[in-house]
Amino acid sequence: MALKKEVYKEFESVVGEENICDDPAIMPSYYNTEFAAVILPGNTAEVQAVVKLCNKHKLMFRPICTGWSGMFPKDIILLDLRRMNHIIEINEKNMYAVVEPYVISSQLQAELFKRGLNFCIKGAGTNCSAMLRGHGHMDQTTSGDDRNHLAIEWITPAGDIVRSGALGSTDDWFCGDGPGPSLRSILTSAVPPGVTPGVFTKAAVKLYHWPGPSAYSLQGVSPHYSLSEIPPNMMARYYSFPSVEKMWQAELAIGEAEISFELMGFNISMVAANITTSNEEEEETFNRLNKEVQGPGFFVIIAGNSAADFAYKKKVLEKIVSDASGKSLKAVEDPRIEGILMAQCTRISASIRETFRNGGAFNSIPIMGQRDLTIKWAIGAGKAKEPLIEKGLIVDDGGAFFGWGVEQGHLGKTEIFCKFDPQNAEAKAAVEEWQKAQNRRAFEERYFASTMGPQDKIGPALCNYDKWWSKLVKSIDPNGVSPEGGSLV
Amino acid sequence: MGLEQYKGDMDMCCRCSACKFIPMQKVKGLQYANACPSIAKYNFHAYSGGGRLNIGAAMLKDGMKYTDKLLDIVYNCQMCGACGVSCNYAMDMEVLEPISEFRIQCVADGKTNPALDKVIGNLRKQGSMVPGAKSQRGAWAAGLNVKDAAKEKVDVLYHVGCLTSFDKNMQKMARATVKILQKAGVNFGIFGNAETCCGGRAYQMGYPEDFLAQARKNMAMIKKAGVKTVVTGCADGYQAFKVLYDRFNLKGDLKVLHISEYIDILIRDGKLKPRRKVNMAVTYHDPCRLGRLGESWVHWEGKKIPGDRFVYDPPKPYRRGTNGVYEPPRDVLKAIPGLKLAEMTRIKEYSWCCGAGGGVSESNPDFARWTAQDRIEEAVSTGAGAIVTACPWCEKTFIEAIKDSGSNMKVYDIVEIVEKAI
Repeated sequence: MALKKEVYKEFESVVGEENICDDPAIMPSYYNTEFAAVILPGNTAEVQAVVKLCNKHKLMFRPICTGWSGMFPKDIILLDLRRMNHIIEINEKNMYAVVEPYVISSQLQAELFKRGLNFCIKGAGTNCSAMLRGHGHMDQTTSGDDRNHLAIEWITPAGDIVRSGALGSTDDWFCGDGPGPSLRSILTSAVPPGVTPGVFTKAAVKLYHWPGPSAYSLQGVSPHYSLSEIPPNMMARYYSFPSVEKMWQAELAIGEAEISFELMGFNISMVAANITTSNEEEEETFNRLNKEVQGPGFFVIIAGNSAADFAYKKKVLEKIVSDASGKSLKAVEDPRIEGILMAQCTRISASIRETFRNGGAFNSIPIMGQRDLTIKWAIGAGKAKEPLIEKGLIVDDGGAFFGWGVEQGHLGKTEIFCKFDPQNAEAKAAVEEWQKAQNRRAFEERYFASTMGPQDKIGPALCNYDKWWSKLVKSIDPNGVSPEGGSLV
Repeated sequence: MGLEQYKGDMDMCCRCSACKFIPMQKVKGLQYANACPSIAKYNFHAYSGGGRLNIGAAMLKDGMKYTDKLLDIVYNCQMCGACGVSCNYAMDMEVLEPISEFRIQCVADGKTNPALDKVIGNLRKQGSMVPGAKSQRGAWAAGLNVKDAAKEKVDVLYHVGCLTSFDKNMQKMARATVKILQKAGVNFGIFGNAETCCGGRAYQMGYPEDFLAQARKNMAMIKKAGVKTVVTGCADGYQAFKVLYDRFNLKGDLKVLHISEYIDILIRDGKLKPRRKVNMAVTYHDPCRLGRLGESWVHWEGKKIPGDRFVYDPPKPYRRGTNGVYEPPRDVLKAIPGLKLAEMTRIKEYSWCCGAGGGVSESNPDFARWTAQDRIEEAVSTGAGAIVTACPWCEKTFIEAIKDSGSNMKVYDIVEIVEKAI
């Protein structure tokens, strides 16, 4: 559906002719969807004006950032937030940064490292928006999920500007809950641009102490980057354990001791993805390392604030691992491999290798919850992958899951992938069926309730939250211009 | 095969946007994180490497659906390959090749750019990428006592290139090169008025037949003259002779060196001694076709191993920019007494393009200068007073950008710096 000329002109008058396009030539690059137009707003005022026009003409819209994934209805207005790429503020004293949606995590983190600070980069990767909500490799020390968002600037589907938290009553971004309106239950369904209706135009994210260097000293030419030296008072290791129970025992103890900068429950397939530069090399490395590990494991980075602090943490780590019969993977003790993993897993620069390189696509079930419980579920989900692996429909990663605790605690993230060729219809169907079945099992066996699970059963079991959410959305979107779904990254 | 051969690669794009930025581990802050001039300037995803693959995949499936916008997207790309380097840090897939094939398809369908048509018209008539009569191509060498390689036996053929031969502001590079080679005692020659375009830029513009015609002419002349080694002063020429000729099985055992590589060898061998102090603080710009696109062509034939992973027998060697020419020009600069080299943020395989590639300097000079301006600002940020490059196309675009902006930054080709030192 093409926009009427006069309507197109109205949008054009807001953003300028170079920042709106309805030519069919660009649509394949936007999810192969025939949008009514793609618009590139440059600031909050332009977003607000565009959203108001959408209301005026009853046109549905969705925003995207870097736009890794997404499914959209056709004929809607797509707001590509690419021009909103400014770091508004880095407040070192109060430890927050305010960013626009198209600042990518890699940019913000590089600025933060210079100041001895860090923030939570999501597992989707450092190429995604720094405003993104979720979990990442560094959750032990940078927390995760909605805990990292402070004040937020939000354009509602009706075109109103809402400033949450401290920003609602002051010019400061230091708190998400006051003095001013706290709208966490609405705003953190996903930021940005996420599935909350409207557009997030700015957000403050929490900052954390970074004990590492102001910039890594890299050597080599792409894709063979490695560290020229392991930074002082830092160490990376991979430990495998004879059983899941032993791994969990060690993970809990490390959390209680508060000694790890990062504890990433990588399976060995993900280690192989991080340290190799091609699929052939990865397959060989995976098969080799798989023989060396004794069972499930995790990757740990220890970072001391002084030599004494580092020595203490290292000693405690070694004792915990020994008590749980853990075994260090020799390959990672090689300083070259150690350095590669350290850089990848703090800059979060290998997510694409971990997910897309092998097969071209992946489906995943990510869950947040009590780690020991979700691990039990994930073991079953891994078993259910085995027939697909045997048929050659998905990548053989040993059926493995991965995950980690958040804030050194027993709550955390657990996730399991199926990597496959999206051009293979049989594989795609099999993976979707696996995903559906494992989500259903998770709910029926009372492990967790996923948004991808059976909503007709989950809703009633959880106080009919879905109906309340629908009513809420209706009240903030009276003209129904904000369709469900959207890009998450 | 054309675009069809890259169907799998185009389908592989996961739309992660990594192609828009330099490799993630190399991002040093908010500034200078962009890799691709086209998406940086035009912002719609269609202008990115990934967006171009998405369009290619869709049009391969549903047919080419030409609009003015599509052609704007196609021709506003320097074909610099930065997208491919960033993508191939993580992914095993071709990026620049399908983008190039898409443009070739447009040209084959008659959907050409008028400015590029004009350039190719001149190439067909005069054997040059820039305006100028064939009979004047070697005029710059008058009085320099340079051998005619077509008539005298030489060890090295210096292929001067179109821009350096005809542009009066660039001829200084040719004269500096002659002085350097003479000083080192090299038995070299040129083809003078008989020299003809390498064809490399025609290939970038989407005219493979014209490229091949030029390549065949050059190789015939080289074989006839019995030349074993070609030295080019132009990065486009270097990539044409070394990579493209090899790709199309025309190069044979011809040894191809860029002048910066050759000077590096001459210094190492003690044949050239930069003794004079050059008290300058400079930064070095890696030309795309000497750097990431200058790595050797690896002929490969193989098959996907059936199964879950995209693995091939034998393993497929992707061109990731790993083996480009990065150190020789730096080593040359470091060998010059008094000269201080400061690096920019975007260097080597993830260097920012000067803006001139892919015919953009002819089809959209404003965009070329915009791209160069970004590079000049980056050069200024290093504290250097001059930017040194190794390609006349880069130098020309930088000079134009500086003229527009009023910057005090000076621009030199590497041979001009070496000339000062000997």
